[in-house]
Amino acid sequence: MRGYHGRVSSVLDIHNLRFRRASGFGLHVPSLQLGHGQTALLWGASGTGKSTLLWLVAGLLRPQAGTLEVAGERLDAMRESDRDRIRARRIGLVFQTHHLLPDFTAEENVAMALMAAGEPERGHRERARGLLASLGIERPEAPASQLSVGQQQRVAVARAIACRPALVLADEPTASLDQANAQATMQLILDACRQAGAALLCASHDPAMRDRFERVIDVTPFVQGVPA
Amino acid sequence: MNDLRVVMVSLKARSLSSAVTMGSVAVAVALLLTMLSLRSAGFQAFQRGTGTTHLLVSADSSPLVAVLNNIFYANPPANPISWAKYNEIRSGFPYAWAIPTQQGDSFRGFPVCATAPEFFTKFEPVRGEPWRVREGRLPQGNFEICLGATAAAGTGLRVGQQVRLTHGAGSDHGHEHAEYPYTVVGILQPTGSAHDRAVFTDLESSWILHAHDRREQEGKEGLTTAADLTDADRLITGILLRLPTRPGSDGSAAIQQQFDTLRRDTSIVVAQPAQQIDRLRSIVGNVDSLFVALGVAVLVSSGISILLALYNSMAERRRQIAVLRALGLPRSRVQGMIIAEACLIGLGGGVAGVALSVIGGLAAAAMLKARIGLVVQPDLDPRGAMIVLAGAVVLAGCAGILPAVLAYRTPVADNLRPAA
Repeated sequence: MRGYHGRVSSVLDIHNLRFRRASGFGLHVPSLQLGHGQTALLWGASGTGKSTLLWLVAGLLRPQAGTLEVAGERLDAMRESDRDRIRARRIGLVFQTHHLLPDFTAEENVAMALMAAGEPERGHRERARGLLASLGIERPEAPASQLSVGQQQRVAVARAIACRPALVLADEPTASLDQANAQATMQLILDACRQAGAALLCASHDPAMRDRFERVIDVTPFVQGVPA
Repeated sequence: MNDLRVVMVSLKARSLSSAVTMGSVAVAVALLLTMLSLRSAGFQAFQRGTGTTHLLVSADSSPLVAVLNNIFYANPPANPISWAKYNEIRSGFPYAWAIPTQQGDSFRGFPVCATAPEFFTKFEPVRGEPWRVREGRLPQGNFEICLGATAAAGTGLRVGQQVRLTHGAGSDHGHEHAEYPYTVVGILQPTGSAHDRAVFTDLESSWILHAHDRREQEGKEGLTTAADLTDADRLITGILLRLPTRPGSDGSAAIQQQFDTLRRDTSIVVAQPAQQIDRLRSIVGNVDSLFVALGVAVLVSSGISILLALYNSMAERRRQIAVLRALGLPRSRVQGMIIAEACLIGLGGGVAGVALSVIGGLAAAAMLKARIGLVVQPDLDPRGAMIVLAGAVVLAGCAGILPAVLAYRTPVADNLRPAA
């Protein structure tokens, strides 16, 4: 959806999106928009397709029908390689278990995202170190496997916003944490996205998170067929 | 951060597996290169060892056997040639020289070659490199010996020591010529030919030894002397012949003609040593090709080990691949990283293999020189080495294709789910 003078008014714009797995589980999203810098919680019980919707928005899955636009780019009509390019440059991802690469340093994990986005290599180190420092990581040269869980989460957040994405997708980032740490982690993600100017679409089934977001989107009505 | 760094860290993370796989490639490349370099170097060494002889006459069963026995000391020649036949051949053509040799005795397994003084003054064991004495002098009288460099090193004999020769080639089974001690009068410089393994003495002493055996069997007592020799005792086993040549030339148009003339005498075998070495090359060449084929097979098997190492690592790398894909790296780029990893294993192993082949070639050359006196100069052809190296990298790259396809097909979303 383009607004005045062709400027993209939504960072995420979904219309009549249909996706069905071989197992019979399916999603139908009639309409979903997310504005620039906006934060939204994908809400729903486990197995209601929150993660599936995130992977669709990330371009890792391809819908069978409908339109899916991220930062003005029609992902649903793109080849996989083009979706990869958009994901690398315009989308940041945060996972429940961080998914840092343990053999690489914290700095390298962040730089990996810059490499995928095609950022010039000479700027990787400075950008990664700057981000990690702003998130309180004092040992950027430490292997990811040697960091505490909290430090790993901060490195994962730094990686997600490294390329100055328009949209950050977070899949249950607090699911394995106690309430205090969950709140702190969510605050970290929200702050990072706000500072980076990125919209945030976060999947969670934690009721305590509902109040932290500008919008709460219940995915239960989107489910068609057998729950995932 | 770049793709190469990702590949290098992946290799380092599996350092043991990577090192073992590289090691298998290194051994295969080294084996192949060593075989290729020694293949030509070996025959060059044989050619070098024929010295300045144009024709060789013996009473062996074939020209090739004659060359192997009389020049490379493979076995003692089985049949003798009479002194009368030697004189007949020598006077039949104006040879530059005609040098008689006799083999049959040994000392601690090293062959004894009884010969004439011209063997040291006219015959060159290697073209352009005449004999040189390292210590002492050449034999001048009866029962004196000088040792080839390898024989001296192998026996530990020094100038002035006395030895007793053994009848036959073996070190243990022949009977010892106990009555006739020989004195070591000299040690020769290494020539890089099979002659380095030999012990040299004069013909008359050798005839006396064997005449003494004959006389003992006839029941005669006392030591045999030159005066006791009969024509039947004056036997030799080979004649080295060289035809006159123009200054600066080694060949002569008359060689073939004289070869044909001598060949008409059915009591002897005549050989052109250089031709026989070429013939040996054509015979052994098939076996040689088999070894090279084996080297290639080992290289292919090392490629399979790369495939298995990478294939087995794919299960534990699915999450890493999924993360890279989630970050936006295209399938083809992840696939390329896996193939690059395989190629790096091939390259690392290949480079190590080249180094190993240089060391291995030198070691093999040293062994050949020590064991059979054959000077082999392993000459690693840079072009051949580059081809084998490139082959190893391409083979490794091919071995990486299947794991790369697995990486290509890795379902991203499934592998990003938290472990149960």
